[in-house]
Amino acid sequence: MTSALAAITNGRAWLRRSLATTDDQMRVARRVALVSGVVALACTAVLIAGQAIAVWRAPAEKSQIVELEGQTKEDAEIAAELHDERKRQTDVSVSRETRGRALAWILLLSGGIFVASGKWAMSLRPQPLPSLDDLVAVRFAPPKRGKVREQGAGAKEKKRTAGAEEVASKEPRGERGGNVAAEMVAHVSHFDRDQGNVAPEAVDLEFVDELIDRFGRGREAAIPILQAIQSHYRYLPDEALQRVCEKTEITPAQIAGTSSFYSQFRRSPVGRHVVRVCHGTACHVAGADQITQELRRHLEIPPDADTDSQRLFTLDKVACVGCCSLAPVMMIEEETAGRLSPATARQALDTVAKRT
Amino acid sequence: MSAPAPVEFRVGLASCGVANGARPVHEAVEAAVREAGRGVARAVGCGGMCHREPLVEVIDGHGRCTVYTHVTPDLVPALVRRHLRPKGLLTRARWMVAGLAESGNGDSAPHDAATEETTAAPRIVLENCGRVDPLSLDDALAHDGYEGLRACLERFTPDEVVEMISASGLRGRGGAGFPTGRKWSLARAQPAPKYVICNGDEGDPGAFMDRLVLESDPHRVVEGLAIAAYAMGAEEGLFYIRAEYPQAVRRVREAIRQAEAHGLLGERILGSDFRLRFEVREGAGAFVCGEETALIASLEGSRGMPRLRPPYPVERGYRGRPTAINNVETLACVPWIVRHGPKAFAALGTESSKGTKVFALAGKVRHGGLIEVPMGVSIREIVEDLGGGVPKGRTLKAVQLGGPSGGCLPAKLGDTTVDYEALRESGAIMGSGGLVVLDDRDCMVDMARFFLRFTCHESCGKCTFCRIGTQRMLEILDRLCEGEGREEDLENLSELADRVSRTSLCGLGQTAPNPVLTSLRYFRAEFEAHVREKRCPAGRCTALTDYRINDACIGCTMCAQVCPVGAIAYRPHEPHAIDLDLCTRCNMCFEACEDAAVEVTSGGEVCATSPRMSAAERAS
Repeated sequence: MTSALAAITNGRAWLRRSLATTDDQMRVARRVALVSGVVALACTAVLIAGQAIAVWRAPAEKSQIVELEGQTKEDAEIAAELHDERKRQTDVSVSRETRGRALAWILLLSGGIFVASGKWAMSLRPQPLPSLDDLVAVRFAPPKRGKVREQGAGAKEKKRTAGAEEVASKEPRGERGGNVAAEMVAHVSHFDRDQGNVAPEAVDLEFVDELIDRFGRGREAAIPILQAIQSHYRYLPDEALQRVCEKTEITPAQIAGTSSFYSQFRRSPVGRHVVRVCHGTACHVAGADQITQELRRHLEIPPDADTDSQRLFTLDKVACVGCCSLAPVMMIEEETAGRLSPATARQALDTVAKRT
Repeated sequence: MSAPAPVEFRVGLASCGVANGARPVHEAVEAAVREAGRGVARAVGCGGMCHREPLVEVIDGHGRCTVYTHVTPDLVPALVRRHLRPKGLLTRARWMVAGLAESGNGDSAPHDAATEETTAAPRIVLENCGRVDPLSLDDALAHDGYEGLRACLERFTPDEVVEMISASGLRGRGGAGFPTGRKWSLARAQPAPKYVICNGDEGDPGAFMDRLVLESDPHRVVEGLAIAAYAMGAEEGLFYIRAEYPQAVRRVREAIRQAEAHGLLGERILGSDFRLRFEVREGAGAFVCGEETALIASLEGSRGMPRLRPPYPVERGYRGRPTAINNVETLACVPWIVRHGPKAFAALGTESSKGTKVFALAGKVRHGGLIEVPMGVSIREIVEDLGGGVPKGRTLKAVQLGGPSGGCLPAKLGDTTVDYEALRESGAIMGSGGLVVLDDRDCMVDMARFFLRFTCHESCGKCTFCRIGTQRMLEILDRLCEGEGREEDLENLSELADRVSRTSLCGLGQTAPNPVLTSLRYFRAEFEAHVREKRCPAGRCTALTDYRINDACIGCTMCAQVCPVGAIAYRPHEPHAIDLDLCTRCNMCFEACEDAAVEVTSGGEVCATSPRMSAAERAS
């Protein structure tokens, strides 16, 4: 008994999990509606067809009986035939009736399921677009203190103090929050094609030579050259650095000094996607630590590393990406995603990982 | 009667807008406008309303403007239809049908919204941000761009320009507040060749006005630097911009290229004998490079380490030549001052601080974004009136000003005015203008630790106390947050703070202890609770806090669904419980609960209870 209960609880938990996201629910709702709709349609078709056949046959069968009855009056031997014919016709109509009743029940049931799942699916659809008037803003209007402005007759009970400012904040935020990850990911995908090379095997030294020609050979060129190398290979390969030292006035000491001093430079290859979690003040206050912690836990990055074992993501903590009003923020490659929660951050990475 | 100007649709495409999905909106607007055959779609920067991006601002033929916030691509057709009558008959009919099909949402006559600034102060720095297309010189010229430079070259001698800037009372907006006019006159007296540098190495976490100005109105900064170069007699200028702001770097490069093509830079500018060449350099991610001498070292290809001053950069700077370094915001004020005269600028603000200041409002405030206020307004006005106050159910605890060099002002000092001297007196500094609002869930010890971790990490390592002293201070704060604080820790913290600030060469080290000192000054009780009671009153330090679910739980399983580590068993209609061994204190259950059932406790006392409100309410 208890095991049965446990099984039921487990089953419900499983169901809940597998229906966790709106997308999953939508898919299930659509499928159920489709199946029940098809069943209902099929039932209706069979019912109508059966009825039509019965109506079509009825005159012929009736005339057959009448004919047989007429013949019976003349020839008593045909009575048995008449009896058989009557029995056959009765059986047919009884079975049709039974079948019709069963089909009607199925029709009712599947119709009910269809309506219910249809309603479910409708309820899962994105919210209707807000009226344009609700989105009109007053740019940083100081709220009129002590004044209560009523927004038409409908909103009388909701007294709002800040006038248009408040009206504008009737925003479809919930919906947006969920979509941020998906929208953002759409922009990231082009990196998959362009920069799929995680760690180029052979370092193209001609490229380095070109850079040297472009930026010059003096000490001053060190940082621009390193920046260009970094943006090309996404890290500073030793071969390239050696080449720079050979061909310019820049010494290995200077390169070692600058490349370790500035946080932009890294000496080891990165994962396929670089994820920069902002740890500026605003993001810190909004919970950037929780985001990093959750992503590290989710990607199973060991404490002393910054890249996961599949070399898919390199997690980087950065000081401030300058989007403080969207805190907490992270950047997947060049695209910024804001107003994260640990869950949406994780989903964003999952979506990128799926595309890779 | 002249024909009305075409209807203009401006979509904010600065980093903040793009992060909120403005790019598809812009594409949709462009497509709709193309279909209509009239109207203009413009990509502009950010006007500062970052919390409501994506924004579409519509300026109709009569100059009326309406701002739509939180626009989605689906909304764009209706929006464009409302303001435009398409050209072709066929399109017009098609749009009419589409409009009828959608008329369900009560869309009628255009809504006349008073969208122009209602704040009293004129915008100076942000004058054109969100108004002009940052990539279009024509647009900039149409909005008085390069008028200041033209006026300087045609009407004023360099000495008069320096005099004008001195008279305006403009002070460096990078943080320290050195009078700009004095810096320029010092540089003017030096022999050529000289350099002017625009300092766009905005490393201060929590401040983003430089990024916004560079991204939204690059021509203004280019003009400001050109005027500075003219006033000082420099022929070469450099932009030093963080590599973390790729869009700003691209736009400034493009602005310089356009200005050169139009004879606004280069040889014989606007027909005068003045010549000027600009170059953009990318900073490589070191906070200390915001310091003048470190910035110069970085430009010269070395590690960005500050050196002893004097000689100051105005005497010997980049390549050993006199160099004047000005902040982006300072330079953005310059064209306005030249155009409107120093008196108009000096009329704003207080006795010692003139003009306006841009603040990056962020943190626990409803309407984050960029605001420009005249000097002399109070912190409370900024937070309550402009920022809309802290979110529902929370109370204002403190305001962090000036980033890692500044300090936390408690709510009771909310009447402190925005003024270099008044702020310095309170222990905070103006800094670059990051203003982060903290509420009752923020732990001051944790904030102090956060800033110290930053400065400790960013310390270049030249001065011993800055290198090792901050490390020791950080260790103490780490201990406090872990609940291992000792009685003598607070004493040591104050002493170290004093030593670090007295024995450091540059601003980074000198101001690094400020967050600790102000927090100790105003929130000593909170530090003592960490040391003596091993308790975090704000419920933020994870080692000192526990989460629990109280009797208000209705068993809705919301918390169990969001828990990333499965510390809450999934049991519908039963009161939930948190397994504290599994719990990572990620606060997600607290955020998810709608029935005031999740409590944060520390040392046996309840620090906070999740508010009773729906998720939708919470989101707004």
